[in-house]
Amino acid sequence: MSEPESIVFVVDDDPSVRSAIKRLIGSMGLQVELFGAAQEFLASKLPNVPSCLVLDIRLPGISGLSLQRQLAKANIHIPIIFITAHGDIPMTVRAMKAGAVEFLTKPFRDQDLLDAIQMALERDRTRRRQDAELAVLHERFKSLSPRESEVIGMVVSGMLNKQIAAQTGTAENTVKVHRSRAMEKMQANSLAELVKMIQRLQGSSRNEPP
Amino acid sequence: MISADSVLSGSFDYGEVARSVLIAIVASYAALDFLGRLTSARGRTRLAWLSGGAIAMGLGIWAMHFKGMLARRLPIPVEYHWPTVLASLLVAILASGVALYIASRQKMAPVEVLTGSVILGGGLLGMHYIGMAAMRLPAITHFSPVLVTCSILLAILFSAITLRLAFRLREETRWSGPRRLASATVIGVAVSAIHYTGLTAASFTPAPPPNLFHAVSISTLGNNGIVIATLTVLAAAIATSSVDRIQSEERLLLVIDTLPALVWSKSPDGSADFLNQRFLEYTGLSVEEGLGWGWMKEFHPEERAEEEWRAAFAAGKPFEREAQLRRADGAYRRFLLRAVPLRDKQGNISKWYGTSTDIEDLKRAEDELRQAQEDLARVTRVVAMGELASAIAHEVNQPLTAIVTNGNFCLRRLDSATWKPDELRAAIEEIVNDGTRASAVISRIRGLLMKASPNRTELDINRIIQDVNILLRNEFTRNRVSLRIELESDLPHVPGDPVQLQQVLINLVMNAIEAASSTTNGRPEILIRSARNRDGVLVQVQDSGPGVEPALVDRIFEPFFTTKPKGIGMGLSISYSIIESHGGQLSLESASHGALFQFTLPANGAVLS
Repeated sequence: MSEPESIVFVVDDDPSVRSAIKRLIGSMGLQVELFGAAQEFLASKLPNVPSCLVLDIRLPGISGLSLQRQLAKANIHIPIIFITAHGDIPMTVRAMKAGAVEFLTKPFRDQDLLDAIQMALERDRTRRRQDAELAVLHERFKSLSPRESEVIGMVVSGMLNKQIAAQTGTAENTVKVHRSRAMEKMQANSLAELVKMIQRLQGSSRNEPP
Repeated sequence: MISADSVLSGSFDYGEVARSVLIAIVASYAALDFLGRLTSARGRTRLAWLSGGAIAMGLGIWAMHFKGMLARRLPIPVEYHWPTVLASLLVAILASGVALYIASRQKMAPVEVLTGSVILGGGLLGMHYIGMAAMRLPAITHFSPVLVTCSILLAILFSAITLRLAFRLREETRWSGPRRLASATVIGVAVSAIHYTGLTAASFTPAPPPNLFHAVSISTLGNNGIVIATLTVLAAAIATSSVDRIQSEERLLLVIDTLPALVWSKSPDGSADFLNQRFLEYTGLSVEEGLGWGWMKEFHPEERAEEEWRAAFAAGKPFEREAQLRRADGAYRRFLLRAVPLRDKQGNISKWYGTSTDIEDLKRAEDELRQAQEDLARVTRVVAMGELASAIAHEVNQPLTAIVTNGNFCLRRLDSATWKPDELRAAIEEIVNDGTRASAVISRIRGLLMKASPNRTELDINRIIQDVNILLRNEFTRNRVSLRIELESDLPHVPGDPVQLQQVLINLVMNAIEAASSTTNGRPEILIRSARNRDGVLVQVQDSGPGVEPALVDRIFEPFFTTKPKGIGMGLSISYSIIESHGGQLSLESASHGALFQFTLPANGAVLS
C-alpha cells in the first residue's frame, strides 16, 4: 500500500487533544497526521489524496483563521473543520464565510467531529474529481488550432455555419471541417456536449482566484 | 469817666439763651443723623457726607455760640470784627469734621476717644474764645482763671461723652430715632454748658473805644437771620440724610430680595426674624408663618431635626449643611444652607445671618455623573470577568476535550468486538492525566488572582468597612436595603491588603444586598458587625434574605459554583482564597433566616498559617 485512500490532518497546540483526536479518528480506519502549529503544517508536503484539516483556532504563531486565509491564497482547497475551546459568533461567521465545513466547540461530540470529517472528505473527493476532469478538458482545448478554437467559440455562442463563414471570410465547407475536427479533438459526441464542455472551461477560468 | 476796675454789669436774655440751646440740639441731631449715613457710605460718598456733616454741625455750634454771645447784654455798644467771626466758624467746622471722622471709624479705642475729645474740645474752646476776640467794645475783657479752666475741662469731658454716644448710635436700628433725639439733647445741652461757662468766665471793664476797622454791629434782624439761616441749613441737611437713608434702605432691600438665594436672619436661638422675598416666594409661606420656628416646616419631614438645629445655633460657630426644602407646589429641592453669627463686643451672638442656595440641579448632575461612573465601572468589571471567563474556558476546555474524546473512543471500542485492553488503558491513562491537569488549571487561576497585588499593610478593618459602605451607598439606595453597622471600637490592627479585603467585603455585601432585596417579607436589611475575637478581628455580614439552601451550603465556596443566572461562581471562591491567604477564615455561619457570612483575620503577632 503506497498511497492511502484518504488522510485527515490535525493542527492543535495541545498534545492531549491531538492524541485523543488521532485515537478517535484512527479507530474509524482513517489515516491521521498531527501538527502542533500552523507553520509545521505549511512546511509539510501534502499528498495528492482526498484529505481534510481539523484546525484549532487559538494557536501559537499563526492562528487557525489566518492559516485558512493563507491556504486560500496559495490555492490549496483543503476543506477545514474548526475546533475551538472558546468561540464567539463573529469568529464562527468569519470562518464559515471563508468556506469552513464545520465549526465545533470543545469539548465536542465525537459523532459531530466524525460526521464533519466524512462530509469534508466527500467534498474534497468531489472537488478532486472535478478538477481532474477539468484538467483533461483543458488539455483537449489546448490541442485545438487557433482557427478551430475561434470557430468553436462562435458555434457555442449560437452562430450558424453560414454566419461564421461570412465573419471569418472563408467558405462554409471550410467551417464545417474546422468544426468537426474540433469536436473530434474535444471528444464531444454532440453539439450540446461541446457547449457544456466550453461552459465548464469558461466557468473554471472565471472562478479561478486572481 | 467810669473807673477802670468797675466791672460792667451785664445780663442774659433768657429767650435768646433758650434759642441758642435749641440750635445746639438741632445741630447735634443733624450731626448724629449724618454720622449714620457716613458710617454706611463708602469712597467718595463718604467724603461728601463727612464734609456736609462737618459744615452742618460746625455751623450749628457756631450759631449757638454766636447766639449765646448776643444773649449776653452789656450796657455798652458791641460790634464784631467779622474776619475773626469767620475764623471762629471755620474752627467749628474743622473740629466737627474731625469728631465725625473719629466716630465713623470701625473701632474706637480709648486712645482715640482721648485724642478725639481733646481735638473736639479744643475746637469748641478755640471757636468760643476766637469768637469772643471778635468783640469790639469800649471795655477791657478779663477772664476768670477758675471758670476758664472749668470750661476747658468741661469741653474735653463733654467731647468724650459726645464721641461715645455718637459711636454707639451710628448703627441704624429701629429705636435709633428717639435715641438719637435723646443723645442730641444731651450733646446740645453739653455744648451749651461749655459755651456759657466760657462766656461767664469773661468780665468787662470800661475802656476807650476800640478800633472798629472791619467791625460790624449785629442788628435784631441780623440776629434772627443767623437763626433762620442756620435752622434752614440744618433742616435741609436732615432731610437730605433721611431721603438718602430711605433710598439706600430700598436699594439694600432690593438687593436682598433679588439675590439668587433664600436670605434670612435669625435671633441667637435660631428663630427667624427676617425672610427675604425669594424665601417667601419659594416656600409659599406668609411672613407670619415663616417667622419664629415656622421655617422648620419647610424641611423634609426626615430632616426636621429641630434639636440638631437648636444645637447648631447654640454652638455658635458658622455652619453649613444640605437639606431638602419644600417648594410652594410641594416638590422638594436640595439646598445648601450656610449661616454665620454676628457677635457683639462681649462676644455674644446678637444675630444669625444666612442664605439657602438651591443646589438641586447641581446635585442631580453630580448624581448622574456618579451613576455614569458606576455604570462604567460595572461594565469594565463585566468585561474583565468576560475575559477571565474566556481564559478559564480555554484553559479548562483543552483537557476536557481530550477527556471527552478519549472517553468516546473507549466507548466506541468497547462496542466493537475487536477491542484490546492496551489501547483502552492508554486512553484511560490520558483521561486521568487530563483530569488532574484541569484541576491544576483552576488552582493556577486562583493563584493568579491571589498574586495580583501582594500589598500588605497594617490596617484598621473598621476603616475598610466604612470605605466599602461609602462605595456601595448607591447600591443600598437603589435596592432600598437599609444598613445597620455595629463596629467595635479600638480593634487591633491587622496586616492585610486593603484592596483585597475591600474586594471580599464588597463581594459579601453585594451578595447580601441581592439576597435581602429578593425577599418580599419584612424590611430588607443588612447588618455589618466587627468585633474582637481570640487572636484578631472578626467581621460579619448578615442579610434578611432567604438564606442558603441546605443542599448548597457545602458547595458555596467552590469555584464556578453559582446560584445566579449571570454569575460565574468565582466571587465567594476568590474571597475564600483571599481570606485564607491572610491567615484567616471565611465561613457561612448561618444559612437559615438570611445568610450570615463571617471572616476572621489574625492580628499582628498572631501566627500566620
